[in-house]
Amino acid sequence: MAAAHWLPPKPSIRAPPASQVVTALTREQAWLSGLRDAIPLFGGYIPVAISFGLVATQAGFSFWQTVMVSTLIYAGASQFLLVAMVASGAPLWLIVVMTLLINARHMVYAPNLTPWLGRSRWWPWLMHGLTDQIFALAHIRLPQLAPEARLGWFAAAMLLAWASWVGGSALGAVAGAELTARWPLLGEIMPFALPALFLVLLLPRFTSRLWTLVVTVTIVLAIVLKLAGLPNASIPLAAIGGAALYQWVSQQTSRRSDRWGDGQGDKHGDRRGIGRHDNE
Amino acid sequence: MSDDLWLVIALIAVGTFAIRAVPLLWMRRHLQRRHLARGPQRMPANEAEGASDATEPTEAAASIPGWLSILAPLMIAAMFGVSVVPAAIDSGSAWLASISGVVATLLTWRRTRSLGWPVFTGVLVYGLVVVLDGVMF
Repeated sequence: MAAAHWLPPKPSIRAPPASQVVTALTREQAWLSGLRDAIPLFGGYIPVAISFGLVATQAGFSFWQTVMVSTLIYAGASQFLLVAMVASGAPLWLIVVMTLLINARHMVYAPNLTPWLGRSRWWPWLMHGLTDQIFALAHIRLPQLAPEARLGWFAAAMLLAWASWVGGSALGAVAGAELTARWPLLGEIMPFALPALFLVLLLPRFTSRLWTLVVTVTIVLAIVLKLAGLPNASIPLAAIGGAALYQWVSQQTSRRSDRWGDGQGDKHGDRRGIGRHDNE
Repeated sequence: MSDDLWLVIALIAVGTFAIRAVPLLWMRRHLQRRHLARGPQRMPANEAEGASDATEPTEAAASIPGWLSILAPLMIAAMFGVSVVPAAIDSGSAWLASISGVVATLLTWRRTRSLGWPVFTGVLVYGLVVVLDGVMF
């Protein structure tokens, strides 16, 4: 299930920069690796997609409308919002604005991956599949892959996730009520694959005291905001709060270092979660 | 209503795609401009299809605006925070299941340093706690 090349064996807590652990793969291996890495997404997407299919048809969407929403929009939270707003009779312009606002957080994803993407004309089209989860996966995995393997890896991971979302939505639209009645626990248990996946993607980032502090505060902030009833705003707000803390602590460290004549502070090598020791 | 709904779906689909794809084109142009500004003396190290031909990936990564590269891992941290909160917020056993799943994921990752096994173990332990809770209470 796990790719042996996912991370170097038993690295210290200060792992080498991900970009230094480059794995050469053939084109077929790259596709297989992408599929294998996306399996946790498959487990996490299907139950939620089935729920979406069920909710959408119950709200009056036809089977094809449900499937096309999942195929063309492909953004979980905003799809649920779309269905809820349509069902409540909200103005159509407001539905468009609100759903796009929720998806606005995706704007920061592609620029962070760009250094590892080539000039292939496929890349802009593949960005259709750049969901939260695919971004989290690609942000860690792409720097570890040889350049010629990245397109295949991303396409495979993205297509599997997309197919599972569309397939799950279709299944939910056709037989969602029956499925959830027969296996209620499955729908409750499988979505835990997503937080587990995010955690695994985060753990290699605990490379310095600064990143440990900032990541921990961001997690706590996101939990608090979710508990406060802001599930959609909590991701960008918590991330912005964490980034502000990063800047503040960096500035304080820099000032202290200047006072002692060092002047290096916590520079750019630390930005992607790579501790200063890793660059030495 | 049906035609209106199709229009709404189309508008949101185009808008969402633009939100995801346009920043890639912007960043490519940004990296290309920085590369040209430095002069053509440095040839790209790797011109394979997957490589950026603007500059080397590590150099290009250093060219990403600071706030953007800080924000990216913190978005993942926030996604974890949001998704780890159980649907039944008031249920102590739901929180216990989440915490057990997180601990199992963490411990398995420390042993295997892999992607699949920690996720699998986390889901398994989470599921076991949910099932046991259902059986016992």
